[in-house]
Amino acid sequence: MSETIKKIEEAVLTKGLTKSYQGRTVLKDLNLSVKAGTVFGLLGANGAGKSTTIECILGTKQAEGGTALVLGRDAKKDRRTVFQKVGVQFQEGDYQPEIRVSELCEETACLYERPADWRKLCERFGIGDKTGHAVKSLSGGERQRLFIVLALLPNPKLVFLDELTTGLDARARRTVWKILEDLKGEGLTIFLTSHFMDEVEALCDEICILRKGEAVFYGTVEQAKSQSGCERLEDAYLKFADEEVVA
Amino acid sequence: MRTFFSLLKTELKLNIRNMNMVIFAVIMPVVVLVILGFIYQTKPAFPGAEYTFLEQSMSAVCTISICAGGLMGLPLVVAGYRERKILKRFRVTPISPVMLLGVEFTIYVLYAAVSMALVFPMAAVFWGVRIPGSPAAFLGSWLLTLVSTLSIGMMVGGIAKNEKMASVIACLLYFPMLIFSGATLPFEVMPEMMQKIVALFPLTQGIQLMKAAFLGMHTESVWVPAAVMGIVTILCAGAAVKFFKWE
Repeated sequence: MSETIKKIEEAVLTKGLTKSYQGRTVLKDLNLSVKAGTVFGLLGANGAGKSTTIECILGTKQAEGGTALVLGRDAKKDRRTVFQKVGVQFQEGDYQPEIRVSELCEETACLYERPADWRKLCERFGIGDKTGHAVKSLSGGERQRLFIVLALLPNPKLVFLDELTTGLDARARRTVWKILEDLKGEGLTIFLTSHFMDEVEALCDEICILRKGEAVFYGTVEQAKSQSGCERLEDAYLKFADEEVVA
Repeated sequence: MRTFFSLLKTELKLNIRNMNMVIFAVIMPVVVLVILGFIYQTKPAFPGAEYTFLEQSMSAVCTISICAGGLMGLPLVVAGYRERKILKRFRVTPISPVMLLGVEFTIYVLYAAVSMALVFPMAAVFWGVRIPGSPAAFLGSWLLTLVSTLSIGMMVGGIAKNEKMASVIACLLYFPMLIFSGATLPFEVMPEMMQKIVALFPLTQGIQLMKAAFLGMHTESVWVPAAVMGIVTILCAGAAVKFFKWE
Protein backbone atom coordinates (compact mmCIF):
# COMPACT_ATOMS: atom_id res chain seq x y z
CA MET A 1 0.00 0.00 0.00
CA SER A 2 1.13 3.52 -0.75
CA GLU A 3 -0.12 4.68 2.64
CA THR A 4 3.26 4.06 4.17
CA ILE A 5 5.02 6.06 1.49
CA LYS A 6 2.81 9.11 1.23
CA LYS A 7 1.90 11.02 4.35
CA ILE A 8 -1.84 11.25 4.50
CA GLU A 9 -3.25 14.62 5.19
CA GLU A 10 -6.36 14.82 7.38
CA ALA A 11 -9.04 17.14 6.08
CA VAL A 12 -10.94 16.87 9.37
CA LEU A 13 -9.48 15.79 12.67
CA THR A 14 -11.25 15.79 16.01
CA LYS A 15 -9.90 14.64 19.34
CA GLY A 16 -12.08 14.03 22.35
CA LEU A 17 -14.85 16.33 21.14
CA THR A 18 -17.40 16.74 23.95
CA LYS A 19 -20.52 18.85 24.22
CA SER A 20 -23.56 18.95 26.48
CA TYR A 21 -26.79 20.90 26.65
CA GLN A 22 -28.18 21.67 30.07
CA GLY A 23 -26.40 18.76 31.68
CA ARG A 24 -27.36 16.29 28.92
CA THR A 25 -24.38 14.94 27.02
CA VAL A 26 -24.87 15.29 23.26
CA LEU A 27 -21.32 14.47 22.18
CA LYS A 28 -18.94 12.31 24.13
CA ASP A 29 -15.23 12.03 23.44
CA LEU A 30 -15.56 11.91 19.67
CA ASN A 31 -12.42 11.15 17.67
CA LEU A 32 -12.75 11.49 13.91
CA SER A 33 -10.13 11.51 11.21
CA VAL A 34 -11.19 12.18 7.64
CA LYS A 35 -8.48 11.69 5.07
CA ALA A 36 -8.18 14.18 2.24
CA GLY A 37 -9.88 13.05 -0.94
CA THR A 38 -12.26 10.60 0.75
CA VAL A 39 -15.97 10.62 1.52
CA PHE A 40 -16.87 10.33 5.18
CA GLY A 41 -20.36 9.55 6.40
CA LEU A 42 -21.62 10.41 9.87
CA LEU A 43 -24.68 8.30 10.67
CA GLY A 44 -27.12 8.08 13.52
CA ALA A 45 -30.74 8.57 14.48
CA ASN A 46 -32.29 12.03 14.74
CA GLY A 47 -30.82 13.65 17.82
CA ALA A 48 -27.79 11.35 17.93
CA GLY A 49 -25.51 14.38 17.57
CA LYS A 50 -24.68 14.53 13.85
CA SER A 51 -25.46 18.20 13.29
CA THR A 52 -23.90 19.13 16.63
CA THR A 53 -20.70 17.38 15.56
CA ILE A 54 -20.58 19.36 12.33
CA GLU A 55 -21.27 22.61 14.15
CA CYS A 56 -18.56 21.96 16.74
CA ILE A 57 -16.10 21.19 13.95
CA LEU A 58 -17.07 24.38 12.09
CA GLY A 59 -16.93 26.49 15.23
CA THR A 60 -20.55 27.65 15.04
CA LYS A 61 -21.03 25.79 18.33
CA GLN A 62 -18.51 25.76 21.11
CA ALA A 63 -17.41 22.31 22.26
CA GLU A 64 -16.74 21.98 25.98
CA GLY A 65 -13.86 19.63 25.52
CA GLY A 66 -11.54 18.38 22.84
CA THR A 67 -10.20 19.88 19.66
CA ALA A 68 -11.29 20.00 16.05
CA LEU A 69 -9.15 20.88 13.07
CA VAL A 70 -10.43 21.66 9.60
CA LEU A 71 -7.75 21.49 6.89
CA GLY A 72 -5.27 21.64 9.76
CA ARG A 73 -6.75 24.81 11.29
CA ASP A 74 -9.14 25.81 14.03
CA ALA A 75 -12.26 26.95 12.13
CA LYS A 76 -13.37 29.33 14.87
CA LYS A 77 -10.01 31.09 15.13
CA ASP A 78 -9.10 31.12 11.44
CA ARG A 79 -12.64 31.45 10.20
CA ARG A 80 -11.95 33.65 7.22
CA THR A 81 -9.07 31.51 5.92
CA VAL A 82 -10.74 28.17 6.53
CA PHE A 83 -14.01 29.06 4.83
CA GLN A 84 -12.29 30.20 1.65
CA LYS A 85 -11.77 26.50 0.98
CA VAL A 86 -14.60 24.84 2.89
CA GLY A 87 -18.20 24.69 1.68
CA VAL A 88 -21.08 24.04 4.05
CA GLN A 89 -24.66 22.97 3.55
CA PHE A 90 -26.63 23.14 6.80
CA GLN A 91 -29.71 21.07 7.44
CA GLU A 92 -31.97 24.09 7.71
CA GLY A 93 -30.57 26.49 5.16
CA ASP A 94 -32.36 29.80 5.07
CA TYR A 95 -32.31 32.74 2.69
CA GLN A 96 -33.58 36.30 2.35
CA PRO A 97 -37.37 36.28 1.86
CA GLU A 98 -37.57 37.71 -1.67
CA ILE A 99 -34.21 36.58 -3.05
CA ARG A 100 -33.89 34.91 -6.48
CA VAL A 101 -31.71 31.92 -7.27
CA SER A 102 -29.29 34.01 -9.35
CA GLU A 103 -29.02 36.63 -6.61
CA LEU A 104 -28.35 34.09 -3.89
CA CYS A 105 -25.67 32.47 -6.05
CA GLU A 106 -24.04 35.80 -6.95
CA GLU A 107 -24.14 37.01 -3.38
CA THR A 108 -22.48 33.82 -2.16
CA ALA A 109 -19.95 33.57 -4.99
CA CYS A 110 -18.68 37.12 -4.46
CA LEU A 111 -17.46 36.19 -0.98
CA TYR A 112 -14.76 33.87 -2.34
CA GLU A 113 -11.43 34.57 -3.98
CA ARG A 114 -11.83 32.02 -6.74
CA PRO A 115 -15.47 30.97 -6.91
CA ALA A 116 -16.84 28.31 -9.21
CA ASP A 117 -19.13 29.31 -12.08
CA TRP A 118 -22.54 29.21 -10.40
CA ARG A 119 -24.42 28.99 -13.71
CA LYS A 120 -22.55 25.83 -14.67
CA LEU A 121 -23.11 24.32 -11.24
CA CYS A 122 -26.83 25.06 -11.41
CA GLU A 123 -26.93 23.42 -14.85
CA ARG A 124 -25.12 20.40 -13.52
CA PHE A 125 -27.57 20.00 -10.67
CA GLY A 126 -30.57 20.40 -12.95
CA ILE A 127 -31.76 23.82 -11.78
CA GLY A 128 -30.18 25.79 -14.63
CA ASP A 129 -33.61 26.89 -15.87
CA LYS A 130 -34.63 28.15 -12.43
CA THR A 131 -32.04 30.87 -11.89
CA GLY A 132 -34.55 33.68 -12.45
CA HIS A 133 -37.04 32.21 -9.98
CA ALA A 134 -37.51 33.26 -6.37
CA VAL A 135 -35.83 30.75 -4.06
CA LYS A 136 -39.05 30.38 -2.07
CA SER A 137 -40.92 29.30 -5.21
CA LEU A 138 -38.63 26.28 -5.77
CA SER A 139 -39.75 22.80 -4.78
CA GLY A 140 -38.11 21.18 -1.76
CA GLY A 141 -35.85 19.08 -3.94
CA GLU A 142 -34.79 22.01 -6.09
CA ARG A 143 -33.99 24.07 -3.04
CA GLN A 144 -31.97 21.21 -1.59
CA ARG A 145 -29.94 21.05 -4.80
CA LEU A 146 -29.48 24.82 -4.73
CA PHE A 147 -27.97 24.60 -1.25
CA ILE A 148 -25.55 21.90 -2.45
CA VAL A 149 -24.60 24.27 -5.28
CA LEU A 150 -23.96 27.05 -2.72
CA ALA A 151 -21.73 24.71 -0.70
CA LEU A 152 -19.70 23.95 -3.84
CA LEU A 153 -19.35 27.62 -4.88
CA PRO A 154 -16.03 28.24 -3.09
CA ASN A 155 -14.38 25.56 -5.27
CA PRO A 156 -13.79 23.87 -1.94
CA LYS A 157 -11.20 21.31 -0.86
CA LEU A 158 -13.68 20.08 1.72
CA VAL A 159 -17.46 20.18 1.81
CA PHE A 160 -19.89 19.48 4.65
CA LEU A 161 -23.28 18.22 3.52
CA ASP A 162 -25.82 17.74 6.30
CA GLU A 163 -28.57 15.38 5.09
CA LEU A 164 -27.66 16.11 1.51
CA THR A 165 -30.41 14.30 -0.37
CA THR A 166 -33.36 14.69 1.99
CA GLY A 167 -36.37 15.68 -0.10
CA LEU A 168 -34.89 14.53 -3.42
CA ASP A 169 -36.54 11.99 -5.69
CA ALA A 170 -34.74 8.83 -6.80
CA ARG A 171 -33.44 10.26 -10.05
CA ALA A 172 -32.22 13.49 -8.46
CA ARG A 173 -30.43 11.51 -5.78
CA ARG A 174 -28.60 9.50 -8.41
CA THR A 175 -27.60 12.69 -10.18
CA VAL A 176 -26.24 14.18 -6.97
CA TRP A 177 -24.29 10.99 -6.21
CA LYS A 178 -22.77 11.03 -9.67
CA ILE A 179 -21.65 14.65 -9.35
CA LEU A 180 -20.20 14.03 -5.89
CA GLU A 181 -18.30 10.98 -7.20
CA ASP A 182 -16.87 13.14 -9.99
CA LEU A 183 -15.87 15.87 -7.56
CA LYS A 184 -14.27 13.28 -5.31
CA GLY A 185 -12.27 12.14 -8.34
CA GLU A 186 -11.05 15.72 -8.65
CA GLY A 187 -9.78 15.57 -5.07
CA LEU A 188 -12.71 16.95 -3.06
CA THR A 189 -13.12 15.66 0.49
CA ILE A 190 -16.75 15.16 1.49
CA PHE A 191 -18.13 15.03 5.03
CA LEU A 192 -21.79 14.04 4.91
CA THR A 193 -24.63 12.91 7.10
CA SER A 194 -27.45 10.81 5.71
CA HIS A 195 -30.35 8.61 6.65
CA PHE A 196 -30.19 6.66 3.37
CA MET A 197 -28.01 3.59 3.61
CA ASP A 198 -27.93 3.01 -0.16
CA GLU A 199 -26.43 6.46 -0.50
CA VAL A 200 -23.90 5.83 2.24
CA GLU A 201 -22.92 2.53 0.64
CA ALA A 202 -22.56 4.13 -2.77
CA LEU A 203 -20.50 7.10 -1.63
CA CYS A 204 -18.68 6.64 1.65
CA ASP A 205 -15.17 5.35 2.15
CA GLU A 206 -15.54 5.42 5.89
CA ILE A 207 -18.45 5.83 8.25
CA CYS A 208 -19.02 6.58 11.89
CA ILE A 209 -22.27 5.63 13.61
CA LEU A 210 -23.34 7.78 16.53
CA ARG A 211 -25.65 6.72 19.32
CA LYS A 212 -26.55 9.38 21.87
CA GLY A 213 -23.42 11.32 21.03
CA GLU A 214 -21.05 8.37 21.23
CA ALA A 215 -19.31 6.61 18.37
CA VAL A 216 -20.50 3.00 18.37
CA PHE A 217 -18.91 2.07 15.07
CA TYR A 218 -16.06 3.54 13.08
CA GLY A 219 -14.71 1.98 9.91
CA THR A 220 -15.59 1.02 6.36
CA VAL A 221 -18.99 -0.13 5.14
CA GLU A 222 -17.63 -3.66 4.69
CA GLN A 223 -16.31 -3.71 8.24
CA ALA A 224 -19.70 -2.57 9.52
CA LYS A 225 -21.35 -5.48 7.75
CA SER A 226 -18.85 -8.10 8.87
CA GLN A 227 -18.67 -6.89 12.48
CA SER A 228 -22.42 -6.95 12.83
CA GLY A 229 -22.85 -10.16 10.86
CA CYS A 230 -25.43 -8.51 8.63
CA GLU A 231 -25.57 -8.71 4.87
CA ARG A 232 -27.11 -5.31 4.34
CA LEU A 233 -25.69 -2.03 5.63
CA GLU A 234 -29.12 -0.95 6.81
CA ASP A 235 -29.37 -3.97 9.10
CA ALA A 236 -25.84 -3.40 10.34
CA TYR A 237 -26.63 0.26 10.96
CA LEU A 238 -29.78 -0.56 12.90
CA LYS A 239 -27.91 -3.07 15.01
CA PHE A 240 -25.24 -0.52 15.91
CA ALA A 241 -27.62 2.35 16.34
CA ASP A 242 -29.79 0.20 18.60
CA GLU A 243 -32.85 0.67 16.50
CA GLU A 244 -33.49 -2.98 15.66
CA VAL A 245 -36.93 -3.20 14.11
CA VAL A 246 -39.31 -5.78 15.46
CA ALA A 247 -39.45 -8.49 12.81
CA MET B 1 -14.11 45.98 -3.05
CA ARG B 2 -15.59 43.60 -5.62
CA THR B 3 -17.26 41.70 -2.77
CA PHE B 4 -18.60 44.93 -1.28
CA PHE B 5 -20.24 46.12 -4.49
CA SER B 6 -21.66 42.70 -5.38
CA LEU B 7 -23.21 42.40 -1.93
CA LEU B 8 -24.44 45.97 -2.06
CA LYS B 9 -26.13 45.37 -5.41
CA THR B 10 -28.04 42.31 -4.22
CA GLU B 11 -28.88 43.62 -0.77
CA LEU B 12 -30.09 46.93 -2.22
CA LYS B 13 -32.31 45.12 -4.71
CA LEU B 14 -33.81 43.03 -1.90
CA ASN B 15 -34.32 46.10 0.24
CA ILE B 16 -36.14 47.98 -2.52
CA ARG B 17 -38.23 44.90 -3.33
CA ASN B 18 -39.33 44.86 0.30
CA MET B 19 -40.78 48.43 -0.18
CA ASN B 20 -40.78 49.35 3.55
CA MET B 21 -37.90 51.76 3.26
CA VAL B 22 -39.11 53.16 -0.04
CA ILE B 23 -42.25 54.20 1.82
CA PHE B 24 -40.76 55.34 5.12
CA ALA B 25 -37.46 56.81 3.93
CA VAL B 26 -38.32 58.19 0.48
CA ILE B 27 -42.07 58.78 0.15
CA MET B 28 -42.80 59.89 3.70
CA PRO B 29 -40.36 62.86 3.72
CA VAL B 30 -41.92 64.02 0.44
CA VAL B 31 -45.40 63.78 1.94
CA VAL B 32 -44.35 65.73 5.04
CA LEU B 33 -42.75 68.40 2.83
CA VAL B 34 -45.88 68.71 0.71
CA ILE B 35 -48.10 69.06 3.78
CA LEU B 36 -45.83 71.70 5.33
CA GLY B 37 -45.60 73.40 1.94
CA PHE B 38 -49.34 73.70 1.55
CA ILE B 39 -49.84 74.90 5.09
CA TYR B 40 -47.03 77.44 5.34
CA GLN B 41 -46.31 78.18 1.65
CA THR B 42 -43.71 80.96 1.58
CA LYS B 43 -44.64 82.51 4.90
CA PRO B 44 -41.71 83.72 6.99
CA ALA B 45 -40.78 81.61 10.01
CA PHE B 46 -41.95 84.42 12.29
CA PRO B 47 -42.93 88.06 11.61
CA GLY B 48 -39.83 89.85 10.38
CA ALA B 49 -37.77 86.66 9.85
CA GLU B 50 -35.36 86.57 6.92
CA TYR B 51 -36.18 82.99 6.09
CA THR B 52 -39.44 81.12 5.53
CA PHE B 53 -40.99 78.58 7.84
CA LEU B 54 -40.34 75.91 5.26
CA GLU B 55 -36.64 76.78 5.06
CA GLN B 56 -36.53 76.46 8.81
CA SER B 57 -38.11 72.99 8.57
CA MET B 58 -35.92 71.54 5.80
CA SER B 59 -33.40 70.04 8.23
CA ALA B 60 -36.15 68.24 10.08
CA VAL B 61 -37.63 66.88 6.83
CA CYS B 62 -34.19 65.53 5.89
CA THR B 63 -33.92 63.57 9.12
CA ILE B 64 -37.13 61.61 8.53
CA SER B 65 -35.36 59.17 6.24
CA ILE B 66 -32.30 59.09 8.51
CA CYS B 67 -34.60 58.04 11.36
CA ALA B 68 -36.43 55.47 9.29
CA GLY B 69 -33.22 53.86 8.06
CA GLY B 70 -31.11 54.04 11.17
CA LEU B 71 -33.67 53.32 13.85
CA MET B 72 -36.00 50.99 11.97
CA GLY B 73 -34.63 49.63 8.69
CA LEU B 74 -31.06 48.80 9.60
CA PRO B 75 -31.59 47.13 12.99
CA LEU B 76 -34.57 45.12 11.74
CA VAL B 77 -32.80 43.80 8.65
CA VAL B 78 -29.73 42.65 10.56
CA ALA B 79 -31.72 41.15 13.44
CA GLY B 80 -34.07 39.49 10.95
CA TYR B 81 -31.09 37.89 9.18
CA ARG B 82 -29.92 36.60 12.52
CA GLU B 83 -33.29 35.14 13.38
CA ARG B 84 -33.71 33.50 9.97
CA LYS B 85 -30.23 31.96 10.32
CA ILE B 86 -28.98 33.84 7.28
CA LEU B 87 -26.13 35.15 9.41
CA LYS B 88 -25.37 31.58 10.40
CA ARG B 89 -24.93 30.75 6.71
CA PHE B 90 -22.69 33.82 6.30
CA ARG B 91 -20.68 32.67 9.31
CA VAL B 92 -19.38 29.64 7.41
CA THR B 93 -18.14 31.85 4.56
CA PRO B 94 -15.14 34.23 4.62
CA ILE B 95 -17.27 37.38 5.08
CA SER B 96 -16.41 39.70 7.99
CA PRO B 97 -19.01 41.39 10.23
CA VAL B 98 -17.53 44.76 9.20
CA MET B 99 -18.26 44.01 5.53
CA LEU B 100 -21.78 42.84 6.31
CA LEU B 101 -22.64 45.86 8.48
CA GLY B 102 -20.87 48.17 6.03
CA VAL B 103 -23.07 47.01 3.17
CA GLU B 104 -26.29 47.49 5.15
CA PHE B 105 -25.04 50.86 6.41
CA THR B 106 -24.38 52.04 2.85
CA ILE B 107 -27.89 51.08 1.76
CA TYR B 108 -29.44 53.48 4.29
CA VAL B 109 -26.97 56.23 3.41
CA LEU B 110 -28.23 55.87 -0.16
CA TYR B 111 -31.87 56.10 0.94
CA ALA B 112 -31.16 59.27 2.91
CA ALA B 113 -29.27 60.78 -0.03
CA VAL B 114 -32.09 59.94 -2.47
CA SER B 115 -34.62 61.43 -0.11
CA MET B 116 -32.63 64.65 0.14
CA ALA B 117 -32.15 64.76 -3.62
CA LEU B 118 -35.94 64.61 -4.03
CA VAL B 119 -37.00 66.96 -1.28
CA PHE B 120 -34.69 69.88 -2.05
CA PRO B 121 -35.53 70.47 -5.73
CA MET B 122 -39.24 70.10 -4.92
CA ALA B 123 -39.03 72.66 -2.12
CA ALA B 124 -37.00 75.00 -4.31
CA VAL B 125 -39.34 74.77 -7.30
CA PHE B 126 -42.70 74.93 -5.51
CA TRP B 127 -42.03 77.07 -2.47
CA GLY B 128 -38.88 78.98 -3.36
CA VAL B 129 -36.75 77.37 -0.67
CA ARG B 130 -33.06 78.28 -0.83
CA ILE B 131 -30.12 77.82 1.52
CA PRO B 132 -29.41 81.14 3.22
CA GLY B 133 -26.52 79.64 5.19
CA SER B 134 -23.65 77.41 4.19
CA PRO B 135 -24.44 74.39 1.99
CA ALA B 136 -21.11 72.76 2.90
CA ALA B 137 -21.70 73.13 6.65
CA PHE B 138 -25.23 71.84 6.16
CA LEU B 139 -23.98 68.79 4.27
CA GLY B 140 -21.38 68.16 6.95
CA SER B 141 -23.89 68.28 9.78
CA TRP B 142 -26.30 66.14 7.74
CA LEU B 143 -23.58 63.52 7.31
CA LEU B 144 -22.76 63.59 11.01
CA THR B 145 -26.42 63.17 11.96
CA LEU B 146 -26.79 60.38 9.41
CA VAL B 147 -23.70 58.46 10.46
CA SER B 148 -24.40 58.76 14.18
CA THR B 149 -28.03 57.66 13.82
CA LEU B 150 -27.09 54.73 11.58
CA SER B 151 -24.42 53.62 14.02
CA ILE B 152 -27.04 53.44 16.77
CA GLY B 153 -29.05 51.21 14.44
CA MET B 154 -26.01 49.07 13.68
CA MET B 155 -25.43 48.49 17.35
CA VAL B 156 -29.05 47.49 17.95
CA GLY B 157 -29.03 45.22 14.91
CA GLY B 158 -25.59 43.83 15.66
CA ILE B 159 -26.39 42.58 19.11
CA ALA B 160 -30.19 42.20 19.51
CA LYS B 161 -31.06 38.53 20.07
CA ASN B 162 -33.89 38.39 17.56
CA GLU B 163 -36.09 40.49 15.35
CA LYS B 164 -38.67 41.04 18.06
CA MET B 165 -36.10 42.38 20.50
CA ALA B 166 -34.65 44.63 17.79
CA SER B 167 -38.14 45.80 16.89
CA VAL B 168 -38.96 46.75 20.49
CA ILE B 169 -35.70 48.66 20.88
CA ALA B 170 -36.16 50.24 17.46
CA CYS B 171 -39.67 51.44 18.34
CA LEU B 172 -38.48 52.86 21.66
CA LEU B 173 -35.85 54.86 19.78
CA TYR B 174 -37.70 55.58 16.55
CA PHE B 175 -41.06 56.97 17.53
CA PRO B 176 -40.04 59.38 20.30
CA MET B 177 -37.15 60.65 18.18
CA LEU B 178 -39.22 60.92 15.02
CA ILE B 179 -42.08 62.75 16.66
CA PHE B 180 -40.40 64.85 19.32
CA SER B 181 -36.92 65.63 18.07
CA GLY B 182 -38.35 68.04 15.53
CA ALA B 183 -38.29 65.65 12.59
CA THR B 184 -42.05 65.71 12.02
CA LEU B 185 -43.43 68.11 14.60
CA PRO B 186 -41.45 71.35 14.18
CA PHE B 187 -39.35 72.07 17.22
CA GLU B 188 -40.49 75.70 17.16
CA VAL B 189 -44.17 74.94 17.73
CA MET B 190 -43.53 72.90 20.88
CA PRO B 191 -44.08 74.47 24.30
CA GLU B 192 -40.88 75.64 25.90
CA MET B 193 -40.95 72.98 28.61
CA MET B 194 -41.19 70.26 25.98
CA GLN B 195 -38.35 71.79 23.97
CA LYS B 196 -36.13 71.46 27.02
CA ILE B 197 -36.94 67.78 27.44
CA VAL B 198 -36.52 66.76 23.80
CA ALA B 199 -33.22 68.64 23.60
CA LEU B 200 -31.81 65.57 25.32
CA PHE B 201 -32.33 63.37 22.24
CA PRO B 202 -29.15 63.08 20.14
CA LEU B 203 -31.21 63.57 17.00
CA THR B 204 -32.52 66.90 18.30
CA GLN B 205 -28.91 68.04 18.51
CA GLY B 206 -28.33 66.92 14.93
CA ILE B 207 -31.37 68.77 13.64
CA GLN B 208 -30.44 71.95 15.49
CA LEU B 209 -26.93 71.77 14.05
CA MET B 210 -28.23 71.21 10.52
CA LYS B 211 -30.73 74.01 10.93
CA ALA B 212 -28.10 76.47 12.12
CA ALA B 213 -25.89 75.62 9.13
CA PHE B 214 -28.81 75.78 6.73
CA LEU B 215 -30.10 79.13 7.90
CA GLY B 216 -26.67 80.59 8.52
CA MET B 217 -27.54 81.33 12.14
CA HIS B 218 -24.78 82.00 14.55
CA THR B 219 -24.49 79.18 17.05
CA GLU B 220 -22.31 79.39 20.07
CA SER B 221 -22.06 75.67 20.58
CA VAL B 222 -21.36 73.87 17.31
CA TRP B 223 -18.79 71.67 18.96
CA VAL B 224 -21.00 70.26 21.68
CA PRO B 225 -23.55 68.59 19.37
CA ALA B 226 -20.78 67.62 16.93
CA ALA B 227 -18.78 66.00 19.71
CA VAL B 228 -21.85 64.23 21.11
CA MET B 229 -22.67 62.74 17.72
CA GLY B 230 -19.04 61.84 17.03
CA ILE B 231 -18.75 59.97 20.30
CA VAL B 232 -22.08 58.20 19.76
CA THR B 233 -20.83 57.07 16.34
CA ILE B 234 -17.54 55.67 17.60
CA LEU B 235 -19.07 53.93 20.61
CA CYS B 236 -22.02 52.40 18.76
CA ALA B 237 -20.12 51.33 15.64
CA GLY B 238 -17.38 49.88 17.84
CA ALA B 239 -19.89 47.97 19.96
CA ALA B 240 -21.69 46.69 16.84
CA VAL B 241 -18.49 45.14 15.48
CA LYS B 242 -16.99 44.03 18.79
CA PHE B 243 -20.09 42.32 20.12
CA PHE B 244 -21.51 41.20 16.77
CA LYS B 245 -23.61 38.04 17.11
CA TRP B 246 -23.95 35.60 14.23
CA GLU B 247 -26.63 33.62 16.06
